[in-house]
Amino acid sequence: MRPEVLIDEAASRVKGKFLHRGSRKFARWIVASSLMSDVLTTDEEDILLLSNLNTAQVVRTADMIGAAAVMIACGKPVPQDTLDLARELDISLICTEFPIFETCIHLVPLFNTVKK
Amino acid sequence: MLKLHGDETPSTIKEVILRLKVKDATKKHIFTARKTDSLRHIQNLMRDNGISAVPILETDLLAGMISVNDIISALDKGYIDDPAEKHMTKSLIILEDEMPLSYAIPFFDKYSYRRFPVVDKDGRLAGILSSRDILLALLHELNNEILELEKMINAEPADQMDRIKREFIVKKFDFENAGRASYELKKTLKDMNAPRQAVRKAAVAAYELEINIAIHSDGGVLAFEIDDRKIIITARDKGPGIEDITLALQPGYSTASDWIRSMGFGAGMGLANTQKVSDDFTIESSPKTGSFIQATIYLQAADEQAAEVG
Repeated sequence: MRPEVLIDEAASRVKGKFLHRGSRKFARWIVASSLMSDVLTTDEEDILLLSNLNTAQVVRTADMIGAAAVMIACGKPVPQDTLDLARELDISLICTEFPIFETCIHLVPLFNTVKK
Repeated sequence: MLKLHGDETPSTIKEVILRLKVKDATKKHIFTARKTDSLRHIQNLMRDNGISAVPILETDLLAGMISVNDIISALDKGYIDDPAEKHMTKSLIILEDEMPLSYAIPFFDKYSYRRFPVVDKDGRLAGILSSRDILLALLHELNNEILELEKMINAEPADQMDRIKREFIVKKFDFENAGRASYELKKTLKDMNAPRQAVRKAAVAAYELEINIAIHSDGGVLAFEIDDRKIIITARDKGPGIEDITLALQPGYSTASDWIRSMGFGAGMGLANTQKVSDDFTIESSPKTGSFIQATIYLQAADEQAAEVG
């Protein structure tokens, strides 16, 4: 089992702002993609979904794979319906100014730290 | 077309009437006579067999009809020993055996005859159709239909206890609501405490199919059915159908437009993904009927089932 990474800590690494805080506090995997079908091919649970997209369907997709949080990169403004759905589905919604690639650079070491 | 109660006619009755053909009601074992037979011979035929009309044949083709009225006239006017061909009705209204029965029924109002000769596609006499024959055929068919319905009603309660069925309408390009059906399915499965892996697979399959209806079709329905063993997800749409199914199943193949891609969909993974997470997968499509896709996911994976048995 991969180690737990606090979503709070992941957000702070990329100066992320919480638009909604869900009840799940940690993630074990990052999936970074803006193709929702690619996201749906993942087999893992406890995912932090990192995407360039800001539509409600990103949150919908996150819910289908049981993701704990959605992080929207590039500081894209988040539409109200996206936020509403995150609240409804109890999924954390975070926004960061970093582009997706840089966000990955900051987060990968965090997620790759294996706890002894 | 037959009108019973207009739109009020129960669909089962409509179906039965539309399904039946003239040949299904036609009486096939009938008495016939030759052109050269005398009217007296025909009168005896009618009396002995309790019939009121006899088709007259020339070889095996229909040449005319003699009815009870013709016989009465013959007795009255004294030509009962004449051959049939001299007095038979030659201008006949005939029915073809392949006609829908609903088409034949108005003939009884339109013409004053009480029965019509029926011919096959080669013009050979196939039988006679009277309103009594139609009633018998309808009664027979309705009987069968009701028996079937009763069987279904009786079979369902035992079956239904552990079965959940839902249907959702998915509209074209309605991205605001696309995913709601899949959400409901996921929620239902979670509430049932279905195995985690099955919930995930079913959610992914349903979501891909639901998004597919919204992106590619003119609208359709996403349905799911859950029993104690499996989840069946069905996507049906109104068209336009998939041109090349083999190509559509290929990962990465897509016909989606740029704006759909800009929303993160249309990457050409939808059907491939659905197939990947499904234990059984069926796809049918044609330009006329639209697409029908069915994904079945077993609540317990095959290896777990085997482990349980072993």
